[in-house]
Amino acid sequence: MSAKVKTIERKGRTFLEHLYLVEVFKGMAVTFGHFFRNLMDNRRLYVRHYPEVKPEIPARWRGRHRLTTHEDGTVKCVACFMCQTNCPSNCIMIEAGERTDGRSEKLPVRFDIDLLECIYCGYCVEACPMDAIRMDTGIFSVTSYDRESMMIGLEDLLTTPAGCSEEEYQKGGC
Amino acid sequence: MSALDILLVILRIAFGAFVPLSFVAVLVWMERRGAGYFQDRSGPNRCNVLGFRAGGLIQNIADAVKLIFKEDIVPGHIKHKLYFILAPTLVFITAILSFAMVPFADTLVLNGKEYIMQAIPADLGILWFLAVVGFGVYGIILAGWSSHNKYGVLGGLRAAAQVISYEIPMGLALVSLLTIYSTVNLSEMARFQGQLLFGFIPMWGVFLQPLGVIIFIVAAFAETNRTPFDLAEGESEIVAGFHVEYSSMKFALFFMGEYVAMFVSSALIVTLYFGSYQIPWFSTETLVNHSKPVVFLLMLAMPVAAYFFNIWMKKNNRSQYERPNDPRVFEAQVYAAVIWSIVIFIEIIFLGFLIFSSGAGGARILVALLQIACFLFKTFLMCFVYIWVRWTLPRFRYDQLQRLGWQRLLPLALLNIFITSAVVVSLA
Amino acid sequence: MAEMVKLFVNGEEVEVESGKNLIDAIGAVGIEIPHLCYHPALGADGNCRMCLVGIEDGRPPVVPACKTPAREGMRVQLDTDNIKKIQRDIMEFELINHPVDCPICDQAGECKLQDYYMAHDLQDSRMRVPQVTKGKKMDFGCGVVHDQERCVVCGRCVRFTRQITKTGELGIINRTDAARVNIFPGRPLNNRYALNIVDLCPVGAMTSRDFRFKQRVWFLKKDKGICHGCARGCNIFIDHNREKYKDDVIYRYRPRLNSLVNGYFMCDEGRLSYKEENENRLTATMIEGKETSFEDGIQRIQQELNQAKKPLMLISPNSTLEQQWAVKRIATLYGARCSGYSEGYVKAGDGDDFLICDDKSANRRGLQLLDIDCERTTLEQALGECDLFISFDNDPFRFGNNEELRNAIAAKRVIAISSHENTMTEISKVALPVASYSEYDGTIVNINNVLQSFTRAVRKNEERIDILEVTRLLGGAVRDNAHAWPGMKTTVEELAEVHPDRIPAEGLQLSVSEESHVSA
Repeated sequence: MSAKVKTIERKGRTFLEHLYLVEVFKGMAVTFGHFFRNLMDNRRLYVRHYPEVKPEIPARWRGRHRLTTHEDGTVKCVACFMCQTNCPSNCIMIEAGERTDGRSEKLPVRFDIDLLECIYCGYCVEACPMDAIRMDTGIFSVTSYDRESMMIGLEDLLTTPAGCSEEEYQKGGC
Repeated sequence: MSALDILLVILRIAFGAFVPLSFVAVLVWMERRGAGYFQDRSGPNRCNVLGFRAGGLIQNIADAVKLIFKEDIVPGHIKHKLYFILAPTLVFITAILSFAMVPFADTLVLNGKEYIMQAIPADLGILWFLAVVGFGVYGIILAGWSSHNKYGVLGGLRAAAQVISYEIPMGLALVSLLTIYSTVNLSEMARFQGQLLFGFIPMWGVFLQPLGVIIFIVAAFAETNRTPFDLAEGESEIVAGFHVEYSSMKFALFFMGEYVAMFVSSALIVTLYFGSYQIPWFSTETLVNHSKPVVFLLMLAMPVAAYFFNIWMKKNNRSQYERPNDPRVFEAQVYAAVIWSIVIFIEIIFLGFLIFSSGAGGARILVALLQIACFLFKTFLMCFVYIWVRWTLPRFRYDQLQRLGWQRLLPLALLNIFITSAVVVSLA
Repeated sequence: MAEMVKLFVNGEEVEVESGKNLIDAIGAVGIEIPHLCYHPALGADGNCRMCLVGIEDGRPPVVPACKTPAREGMRVQLDTDNIKKIQRDIMEFELINHPVDCPICDQAGECKLQDYYMAHDLQDSRMRVPQVTKGKKMDFGCGVVHDQERCVVCGRCVRFTRQITKTGELGIINRTDAARVNIFPGRPLNNRYALNIVDLCPVGAMTSRDFRFKQRVWFLKKDKGICHGCARGCNIFIDHNREKYKDDVIYRYRPRLNSLVNGYFMCDEGRLSYKEENENRLTATMIEGKETSFEDGIQRIQQELNQAKKPLMLISPNSTLEQQWAVKRIATLYGARCSGYSEGYVKAGDGDDFLICDDKSANRRGLQLLDIDCERTTLEQALGECDLFISFDNDPFRFGNNEELRNAIAAKRVIAISSHENTMTEISKVALPVASYSEYDGTIVNINNVLQSFTRAVRKNEERIDILEVTRLLGGAVRDNAHAWPGMKTTVEELAEVHPDRIPAEGLQLSVSEESHVSA
C-alpha cells in the first residue's frame, strides 16, 4: 500500500517571519490595543460582574437536580434505579421501599446525590421514565464548607422549586 | 563622618532595599490588572477597606495576609530541611542584593562632598549584577532538588540549563557595551549616556547598541524566568516546577523574588540602555543651573496632569451595573480630594523653593529627586514591557528555547562584538 | 452420550441429540427458540405458542417446538416471515393487558417478556381500550408475592406445585383475559420449595418478598457457589453487590443447574441461608473479652498451643476438605487430638426425599474420608484430658443447647476460631474471626459422595482469611488448597484419583457403591 503524500504549504517561512521580532512586535501591538482601550474606558470589558449581576439561566440549563411530585404532593419517583444505572459518575444512591400511598408499589426511601461527584451530564434526567428527576432548578452555584452537606437527600430534592415554568421547560425540548 | 553622611548612607540603603520591595506590590498589582486589561477582563476589583479598593491594590494586602497565615508545610518526604528552607531565601536575597550597584541618581554634591547614589558605593558595577544574579539560580536548583519531587527537579534542571544558555549571550552583549562605555561602573555608564549623539539624540545605549539591547533584553527575560522563558515552572507540563512543594511564606519568597528580579533587571536594562536616571536633553548641570524655571514649569504641569487624571479616574472608577447611590462614585471623589491635596502640598513646597532657595544645595537635592523619579518611571515602563510580553507571547518549547539561546543569540552577540569593536577602533 | 441426529435449522445443518424436543435440542447448539411456558424440569405444556416453528414440507407446517422431538433430516424454519409474524403477534397479545411497570418490577433485567419484546416485537401497543385490572401484590404465602396483571398465564408455577412438590396449591381460574393464577381461598402456598416459583416465573408475576425492592438485578454480581445449608450441597448462584461506600453484601441465592446434585431447584431454607453470611458475623478478634488485632490473636493462640500439653481440636463438618486436612495436620504438629464431633448440626427428621437432608453441614463426608473421629464418647474422653480446646469454626450447639457438653467445654481454656458469633465464641478465651464459605475456595463432598469444588464469591471490605490460612500462620505446613492435595491423595484412598483442578462443573461421583443420581 502506497501512502498518499500531500505537501502542505508551510506558513511562517518568510524572512521577516523568521526573524520573530517583527511578528512579536505585531502581536504586542494587538495586545496593547486591547490594553489601551480598556485602560481608557473599562466599560468595554467583556465581563459580567457576577455576584451582583446574575447570569440568565435558560430553561435547558442543567442545574442542580430536583425530584418532581404529583399534584397531590406525592413523589413521582418509583425507585426504578434507571438514573443510578445510567449515572456515569456513580453519584446517585437510592434505597427502595414499599409504597403505601396508592400510586404504585415502590418508592425511594433514600435518594442521595453526591453533588461533589456529579458531573451534571443530565443522563439521569434522560433516563427517568417517570419525569421524576429534573435539572431545571437553575441553581448553578453549588458550594459548601464541608463534604457532608454536598450530599443532598430526598428532602432537599423534593423541596427545591423549579427554576422555570412548566411551559418554558417543555418548550426547552427537554 | 558627619550626620549628613550617616543620613545619606541610611537613605541610600533604604532606597536599595525598600524600593524593590515596594515595587513588588506595584508589580503584582500591575501584572493582575495588566493581564486583565490585556485580556479584556477587569482584574482584581473586589478587595476593599471600608469601600476603598485603590484600584485593586488592596488585593495585595489580602494576598499577603493569606500567604502569611497559610499553613507552612514542609512535606514529610523532604530529607534536607535546611536546603529546602534555604532555597527561597537564596532566591529572594540575591534578587534584592543585585540592585545594590544600580545608581538611581547622579552623584549628589552637598557641601563639596560627593555622594554616589547607589545602595553600595562600590565600583564593581555590572560585574556584581552578573555574579549575584547568576547565584540566584542556585536557589531555584536547590529548591527543585531538595523538594524530592520529579517536577521540582525537572524545573530546577530547566532553570539551570536555561541560565547557562542565556548568561553567555547576555555577557557577550555586555562586552560590546563595555567597549563603548569603556567602564564597568554603572554610575559612569549613566553619566556617559547623559551626552548627546550628533547634538540631538541622547547618547543612550539603545541607540549605540540596537542589536545588543535586543539580545540583552531577551537574555534578561530568560534570566528572570519570565514568559516566554518560564519553562522552569511550566504549569502545563511540570505543574509548578521548582516551587511545587512550597507553601505559605516560603512560596511567597519565591514569588516576591521573581518580582524583585524583574524590577532589578528592568532597572539594569534602563541603566545600561535607556539612559539610567538621565532626563533626555537635560544634563544634571543644566538642571541645577536652571532649577527655578524647571520648578516653575513643573508647577504649571502638575495641576494639568492631575486634572486629566481625575477625569479619567472618575470615568472608570464607578460600578458597571445598576446600583443605587453608587459608592464607587464617592470613592472616586475621595481619591480626587487626596490627589488635589497632594498636588497643593507639592505646589507649596515648590513655591517655597522658588521664593526662598538661593544656594546650589537645594537645587541639587531637587535635581536628585527628579532623577530618581525619572529612573523609577523608566523602570516602571520597562516592568510594564515585561508584563506586556508575558500576556502576549506564548511559552517557548524547550528545544526552541535552547536553539534560540545557542544558535541565534550567541552568534548575533559575537557579531555585535565584532561590529562594535571595529567601529570603536576605527573612530578612536 | 445419546444418539445424534442431523437436522437443518434455517437451512444450515446442525447435529443435535435425538429424543429431546426442538427447544432443548437446538438450544444445546446455541440457537434459541423463544418460549415462555416450557421449562425442562416441568415438561412441555404448549400453551404460550411462542415457540411455534415452521417445518418445511411438514404436516402440519407450523408446530410448537416444545412438543416436537428432533428427528433426522428435519428442516426447521425460525426466520421465515410467517414465524416472525407469529412471534410478534404473540408478544403483542401477551402485552395487551400487561401493565408494563418495569420500573417497579423486580424481574426487570431478567424478564423473558422484556427480552422477547426487544428481540421479536419492538412496536407500540395498538390497544385503545382500558386494560383489564386484576389483583396486585397478592400474598401467596411462603414469601411469594403475586401480581396477576403481569402474569402471562404460562402455568409454570401451577405445574411446579403439581409435579414437583405435589402439593398443588396453585391453579388457573377463569378463562380468556380474565384467566389468572390464584390460590384456593385461605390456603396459601405451603411447601418448602415454594420460592422456586419466583425463579420459574418467566415474568415478574411472582416475586420474592425477601428480595423485593432490595436491588435491581443488573447491579448484582452473579458468582457460582455451593449452598452450605445442608449436606446436599445444592449448586447456587450467589448474587451479591457492593453498593457505594458499603460492604459486599449477598442479596439472594438462586439454584444453579446440576443434574448430579440438585437439578434445577433448591429449598427455601437454603435459599434464605444467605442471611447468615451477612449477619451475625464475628468481626473482631477478642482476647478475654477485649478487642485486639488479628495478629495479636494469632500470636496468643500460638502461645497457648505451645504451653498446652494436651490440646484438643474440634474440626467443623462445614469446612472444606483442604481445611479439615490442614487442621488435622496441625493437630499432629502440636500433638493435639482432633475430633469432628458435630451432632449439633443434625436436625433429625427434618429431611425429605427430594433435596433437604437431616444433616445441616456441608462436608461431613469429608470428615469421614479424612478419618477424623466424630464420636461423642471419644470427644468427651478427650475433653476430660485436654487442657486447651480449639474449635475450628465448629459450633456443637448450632441447633439446640446441650448444657452438659457446654459446661464441660466452658471449663477448659477455649479458643474459638469462628466465622460467626455463636455459643463457642461466647465461652471462649480467644475468638478469632475467619472467612465463611462465600469468601473462600475449596472442595466439599456431599451426602451422595459427590465431590464439588467452589470458588470465592464475596470480597468483604474487611477481608478475613480462612481456616487453612490460620493453620499456616500457626506453623502448619499446608500453604494453600493445592498444597493440601498431595497429602490427601496419598492417605485417602477415595481421593487418590482426583485432580483438584480438573473436577468437572457437575462434581465428581466418588464412590459407585452408594446410590448416586438425584432425580432432577
